[in-house]
Amino acid sequence: MKIFIKFDFTAVCNKLIEEKLSELGVKHKVLGFGEIEFLEKITEDQLSQLNNSLKEYGSEVIENQKSILVQKIKDTITDMVFNDDENINVKSSVYLSEKLDHSYGYLSNLFSEVTYTSIENFIILQKIEYTKQLIINTDLKITDIAYKLNYSSVAHLSTQFKNTTGITPSAFQRIITKRRELNNPKKQE
Amino acid sequence: MQHKDVFIILADDDEDDRLFFEDAFEELKIDTKVSTFKDGLELMNYLTQEDSILPNILFLDLNMPKKSGIECLTEIKKINRLKDIAIAIYSTSASEEDIENTFVLGANVYIKKPNDFKKLKKVLSNVVTINWQYHTSGLNKDNFLLRL
Amino acid sequence: MGGLAYKHLQTLIKSFDLVEHTYEVNIELEQILSYLKDSETGQRGYLISKDTRFLESFFSGREKTNNSFARLKELTKKDERQQQKLRDLTVLIDKNLNYFDETFKYSKNDNLDSKEFDALLLAGKKTMDNIRLEINQMINHNNNLLRIRKLDNERSITNTPIIIYSVLIIALLLLLFTYSKINNDIKNLQTKNLQLEIFKESTNQSEIVSKHGTWNWFIEENKFSYSDNLYRLLGEQPQSFEPTIENFMQFVHPEDVDKLKKQVEKMMEKQDLPFIYYRIVQKNGSIRHFKAYGKVLTDNEENRRLIGTTADITDEIENYRLLEERNLELERNNKELSSFNHVASHDLQEPLRKIQTFISRLEDKESENLSERGNLYLERIKTSSTRMRLLIDDLLQFSRTNKSEEILEETNMNIILENAKQELAETILEKNAIITSDTIPTLTVIPFQLQQLFINLIGNSLKYSKKEVAPNIRISYEKVDAKNVKKIKKKKFNFYHKITFEDNGIGFDEEYAEKIFVLFSRLHNKNEYSGTGIGLSICKKIVDNHQGFIFAIGKPNIGSIFEVYLPFN
Repeated sequence: MKIFIKFDFTAVCNKLIEEKLSELGVKHKVLGFGEIEFLEKITEDQLSQLNNSLKEYGSEVIENQKSILVQKIKDTITDMVFNDDENINVKSSVYLSEKLDHSYGYLSNLFSEVTYTSIENFIILQKIEYTKQLIINTDLKITDIAYKLNYSSVAHLSTQFKNTTGITPSAFQRIITKRRELNNPKKQE
Repeated sequence: MQHKDVFIILADDDEDDRLFFEDAFEELKIDTKVSTFKDGLELMNYLTQEDSILPNILFLDLNMPKKSGIECLTEIKKINRLKDIAIAIYSTSASEEDIENTFVLGANVYIKKPNDFKKLKKVLSNVVTINWQYHTSGLNKDNFLLRL
Repeated sequence: MGGLAYKHLQTLIKSFDLVEHTYEVNIELEQILSYLKDSETGQRGYLISKDTRFLESFFSGREKTNNSFARLKELTKKDERQQQKLRDLTVLIDKNLNYFDETFKYSKNDNLDSKEFDALLLAGKKTMDNIRLEINQMINHNNNLLRIRKLDNERSITNTPIIIYSVLIIALLLLLFTYSKINNDIKNLQTKNLQLEIFKESTNQSEIVSKHGTWNWFIEENKFSYSDNLYRLLGEQPQSFEPTIENFMQFVHPEDVDKLKKQVEKMMEKQDLPFIYYRIVQKNGSIRHFKAYGKVLTDNEENRRLIGTTADITDEIENYRLLEERNLELERNNKELSSFNHVASHDLQEPLRKIQTFISRLEDKESENLSERGNLYLERIKTSSTRMRLLIDDLLQFSRTNKSEEILEETNMNIILENAKQELAETILEKNAIITSDTIPTLTVIPFQLQQLFINLIGNSLKYSKKEVAPNIRISYEKVDAKNVKKIKKKKFNFYHKITFEDNGIGFDEEYAEKIFVLFSRLHNKNEYSGTGIGLSICKKIVDNHQGFIFAIGKPNIGSIFEVYLPFN
């Protein structure tokens, strides 16, 4: 038997950070999106200890101010695409500047400078990422997914999928299915 | 992480292609460190050393003497320490079936070597950027498939 | 029949015997009575005359009575009742004779006047009466018997002719019946014999025509017989040598002798001969390939024989070998061609790609350092290499469609069409093309090849569109009965899926309708349209791979129609 789990990455990450901070024993407050406010003074040693314990989960403490903001942009976009069905129709530039309290121009420039890619590209990447998850983990048809993700047509989504990944949604589904079969050969019953 | 170099390995038996590859990264603005290997065997010998530094992304030519790209791919996926390396197939050409097959075997990226240097730069920068996104933006690496 | 008549006659004879026997008994009884009378007369004569001559007749009468009695006893030994009477009679006769003796005593003593003598005589007379009575009863009884037996006898005699006559008639009928039956059987036998003769002859002929011979192995006697043609197969005159294993073995190819001997030993042991193959050498030196098979047959008398057939399969083997050789050659040629094609196009790509990349490097970095003429040359080199790339790409595509080992899969054709459109998305967008399509059912095809077919056909319409008019491509589907499609010459299937691609492009002259599918054939100057003349050949090949048909219909300046027929399974 095999099952598939839909992760709530934010919840998982928050739980992990909560655990690691409890180990440190410093009073704190989790603000969400990987942002933590310490309510008392924290030593250099404690900070590097936290950094090390997070490393084994592929995570790390970001100190640079620009990087922090970029991470915030990314997290906001991810959250918008994956979790915020209500606001998906709102223009992303408006959404971002409202949520992060900066002008969209500033955010956009900063993002390109640090990541070598644009916010628009990142949003598309996230949308395609969500599409992939829906293709693999749900029975939703590509038509349903296009509607859910606010695309004007199936063709629009398909084209964007093909442009982003170089393969068609159906090829993607076929490859992942075959890969799973290869890794978990079905038992003869 | 963006302050550190992105570590890239290319295994390709063609000298010209290795040259184009290195030139392209040199001209790109991304901070990268590129290592090249002349064939699959040389590559695997390096990777299987216990203290080897693993690349952020590994570019594999398919037609190589001694050990082909597919053989390297299959071996890497069987070794626990190596199986999470992002792998980009870097080949002259292949049929649709061959491309799908390498994806099924675990490749993340399939690049048909462009016949234009500008295109090559674009493609490589694209791969590195998206790969980096996958590593820094909480994207599911299992779904990382890219054909260029 | 005879038994019945004999039995009847026997009964008749017996009844005659019985009648005769009864007569004899009667006579004997009468005689006893007469002898007793003789004795009585003798006694009386003596008593009166004292003349001893009377005593003679007395004794002889007595003697005869005894003899007669003995005969009677013998005659009546089967009749219980007569025997009983006879015993009674004996007692009476004894008594009577006693009385005679007593009377003689009195007569010797001259005491004839005494009372005792009178009483004796009276008693003697009484006994004598009893004897008479007894004998009369016996005679009566016998007469009764006689009457019955005579009646029986008469009846038997009356029945006899009837019985004998019927026996005769029945016998005659039987004879007639048997005769007709035998006659019939003989006729049947003659027909069967004729049939057998015909069969034998046709077997002989078929043996000659089909190059086989038959042989029998009589297991019980361990003897063989060969058909005429078996001798001929060995290159000998029919029945020219004794059919034995040893003689046969002399013809067997030296390399196959051991193998065949083993098989024959096995045959002797298991009385069965599976298919065996071996060679023989005829006296003229020519080698023939034989194949033999045998089966045991048991007849009515439990005689077993192995019936064998031996065929000369030299021609078959020769043909097979030839065919195999040709197949191998063909396969080799095909492989060579295919790998040549693949290698040529695949391996040519690499240097070409590098040439193109170096050109791009020159353009980027060295353009300023080149003269105007130099830049023009560089541009020409670039154009040529681009064209070469196009050719190589298409050729590679063509060689890939060569693969015949692809597996047919149930394929959603609407997804295939969608993928094809995505592949061409850039051109579709650029030319503002409109593509409409019917719903196509799921087909059993090679998915990659069908996608290629769709890409090439739609791509073709996009490429050969009118410069000022947006391409409009209509894809329609219908299921058609092969009978109604005159274009399909060799109809392997009853029904076909018909997919039609219709466009509003530049079209073509009807006379090129077949030529456009030929490899490298182009209708336009390569400066006008960038075709390689491979795309439609690939289409034809893909459709051929699916045992289908493709037809092109063109009207210059109006558009082209491509009809694809795929077998309906």
